[in-house]
Formats: sequence, structure tokens, C-alpha cells
Amino acid sequence: MKKYAMVVDSSVCIDCKGCMVSCKVQNNVPKGYWRNWIKQTKPDFSLGKLTRTHFQPGGCMQCDVPTCVTACPSGATFKDRETGIVHVNEPLCIGCGNCVRACPYGARFRHPEKRVPDKCDFCFSAGRLARGIPPACVDTCPTKARVFGDLNDPDSEVSRLLRDKPTVRVTSKNIDTQPNLYYITTTEPADWVGDVEYPQAYSVMASLVSPLVKVAVGLSALGVAGMWAKQAFAPDPPDPGDDEHGPEAKHSEPTASKQD
Amino acid sequence: MQRRGNWEFFNGLLKVYAMSEKLIHRHDKLSIFIHWFNAFCWIALLLTGLGLIKNDQLNPLGAWWPNLMRALFGGGENLMAVHQYLGLIWAGAFVLYVLLKPKETWLFLKEVFTVSPSRDMTWFMKMNLKMTMGKKGLKRFGMTPDMPPQGFYNFGQKLFAQATVLGGIVIVVTGAIMFLSPIMLNNPDPAAWSRTIHYLAVGLVTAGMLVHIYMAAISKEEKPAFKSMFTGSVPEHYAKHHHQLWYEEVAGSRKKVEG
Repeated sequence: MKKYAMVVDSSVCIDCKGCMVSCKVQNNVPKGYWRNWIKQTKPDFSLGKLTRTHFQPGGCMQCDVPTCVTACPSGATFKDRETGIVHVNEPLCIGCGNCVRACPYGARFRHPEKRVPDKCDFCFSAGRLARGIPPACVDTCPTKARVFGDLNDPDSEVSRLLRDKPTVRVTSKNIDTQPNLYYITTTEPADWVGDVEYPQAYSVMASLVSPLVKVAVGLSALGVAGMWAKQAFAPDPPDPGDDEHGPEAKHSEPTASKQD
Repeated sequence: MQRRGNWEFFNGLLKVYAMSEKLIHRHDKLSIFIHWFNAFCWIALLLTGLGLIKNDQLNPLGAWWPNLMRALFGGGENLMAVHQYLGLIWAGAFVLYVLLKPKETWLFLKEVFTVSPSRDMTWFMKMNLKMTMGKKGLKRFGMTPDMPPQGFYNFGQKLFAQATVLGGIVIVVTGAIMFLSPIMLNNPDPAAWSRTIHYLAVGLVTAGMLVHIYMAAISKEEKPAFKSMFTGSVPEHYAKHHHQLWYEEVAGSRKKVEG
């Protein structure tokens, strides 16, 4: 069992966008969409010569508390226990967009042609991991800001970095998603992550429709059980009407049917 | 004879009727086929549909059910395909029926949606008491054991038929939206809401279906109705006693023909 993760030294990122471009080429990411990104701080030009900006490479954090997986009712998006990677099972997906909205990092987009979510999978489906080569973004980074590896392997570079250096993670304010993307020492910006907000269609289903359906089916089952018990243990004697046509006489008052 | 227990008694009674009593035609072959086709599709779609929900906050039966179904069908994507295409066949059959048999459809809908509030609400209340507490229960609430007369369908059957008609329309429309979403819908919201509504509609009809199955297949009172879903006809006494208004209509028209 592996637990793939990325450890990023954002202090050496030069914003060359090589990771973004190589990802796009490797995974045929459609025009106008990106699976990964480089964020940056707003430079304060009043500092004159000391004006600086900090670049922060990122992408899907393959969270241990993946809110995108929580928002998916069918399990079409799931966290693979063997790798720790969050995948999309495209043929099982109905393209409802729940996961796209539930991700506080904006790491997913709805593919404009496939109409199912698209996201970073550490180049798993591109076959790079199977061939023993790191994800395209890691491979291409000229300053080696992005480091990729298996956290369950104590000899991997990511494990060594986490042991030797202090790291921080960027998480949402209301839910700690426990991301598997670590930044060495510190990183900026950190305020771009929104709150996790589940789409209304999902919260209504989970907190209103699902209990309602359970109560309705439960009450119905209870009623059936009651009728069954009544019939089995305390049955009424056979209806006199069944053989004597008794009660019918009472009904012969004019109750003409309106049906054709 | 009555000492031998109800089922035996009732069964014996039925055999006697089958030999001596007139049978009244109730369902034609197409109606019977449509009923069992609908029943098969409903159960298959319900079981596969339940397998398509796999989420710790939802799982109506627990995670074992989707896991089992996905293992049986060789993955969630195959289960999804079976559910979608069976759903399309089910919906297609009904659309075809409505198009080819508009008159029958109209008569069915008219029959099912025509209710007489005072008579049917009394019937409904009494039937609930009678089925759970028996005639003693009716007496305790100061009611006589006789039931208000019913037409071709009793009010319970009408309620369930209404639920399946309205629920069916909602289920088909939301299902079609979900099916089309990854194929041609650029806005994801209709699919997200469709699933929520699909689930609600299926849940409510399923609640009704439990009662429908019990009344038809397990309760003694409606055994002749259950048999008529295979044979197409009911004994005259049953029609007279359980569907008096319909019986009077049939008997009346027969008299007219004869006279």
C-alpha cells in the first residue's frame, strides 16, 4: 500500500509555469483549463527595491479527508486505498458537478467535452507511475521545487524531507482536509482557500431526503409488519360477505358510480 | 371447515368458486404483461439503483449492498450501464403504450385519479383499522365492519396507482436528465438536483410498494386480485364484495346486452 504525496519547496519556484505546461501536454488538458497551478502573493510596490513576490506551486492535494469524495453520492470519485490518489471513475459519473464545488482548492473542473470532472491524479492514468517515472510536473521542474514520492516508504525523498524539515499544509478554514501536499518551512499565499461548501443538491439529499425516505419506508414496513402480525396471530373470522353476500344489502342505496 | 385455519379455508373456498361461480373478466393479456413487466423493471431498477449509491452519509442499506452489486456486475460502471439501459427500456415501453393506446391510457388515468373524498376517506380509515386491528378495532372506534363500496380500483389501489404514475413520470424525467448530463448538458446543476429528486420519488413509491406487495401477495383478502394478475378474471363474489361499484356496472351492462 502506497501513500503518494508531494512536498514542495515554494521558495525555489521561479514561476516558469513549466509544471503547468507539461501537465497540460501529458494529460491533454483542454484549452482554458489547468490541473495544477502556481499561485503568487501580491507584490507591494511601495517597498521599492525590496518589492518581492512569493510563488506557490500546487494542484490536487489528494486529501485524507477528501470533501469531493464526500459530496459524490455514487462513489464515482474515490480515494484509492492502494495509492492514496483521488480518482474519477468517468463512466460511473453523471457529471453533477458536486465534487467540483465541494473542493475548497478549486482543484477540479468539469471537462468541457467529457462533461465529467477532471483533476490531477499524479499522472497515474497517463501511465507514468506504472513506468516508474514521476508526474510530468515534477519531472519538468527546473528548480526541483516539486518533490514526489511514497510517504509509506521511509527511504523516499518525501519521507526524508518531512523528517528533516518543518512543513506546513494549506487547508480550508472550516474543515481540515488533511492534504497530502506539504510546503517546506512556510508558504504564501495561504488565504486563497475557501470554506468547504457542499452543493445544495447534495446537502438536501443527505440531510433531508435521505432521512425522509428512511422514515417513509420504515413506517410503511412497520405498517405491513403490523398487518402481517394481525393476520398471523389474531385473524378475523372470514368475512360473512365472502360466502353469504351479507353486508352488500346495506349498500344498495343509490351510490351510482361516476366512472365509465 | 372454518376450524381448519383461514388460508386453507379460503383456498378451499376459492376452489369451490372456481368450479361453481361465474368468473368476471378483469384484466386483458396486455394489462397483465404490463403489470409484470413493470414489476420486474421496478425491482431490478430498485436493486441496481441502490447499488449506485455509495457514500457513507447516504448508504440506505449500508456499504455492503453497493459493494455486492458492483462485485456482481463487474464494477460500478457496468452496474450504471445496466441501470441506465434497463431504465430506458422501462420508460420506452410506457411511452410506447401511451402512444399506441391513448384511449386505454386515458381511461386508466381517469379511473385512477377519480376519487370520491367522503366515501374513499372513510374507506381508507376503516381499511387501515381493519387490517391492523381487525373488526374489533373498528368497533372500538364506533365503526361498523362494512366498507364503503369501491369501483374497479379501491381507494388504496388508486393511491398507489397515482403514486406510481406521478412518481414514474418524475423518475423517468430525472433519470433521463442524469443520463444525458455527461452526454450533452453543459450545466451540471440539473443532474445534481435530478438525483436528489429521483431518490425521493423512488423512496416514496417504494414505501407504497411494500403495502402493495403485502396486500396483493400476502394478505388473504386480496388473494383473488393477485390470482387475477395471472388469470385475468376474478370470482363474481369477490367482485361484488370488494369492487361493488365496478361489479354493478359490469352486471348492469351485461343485463343491457342481454335485454
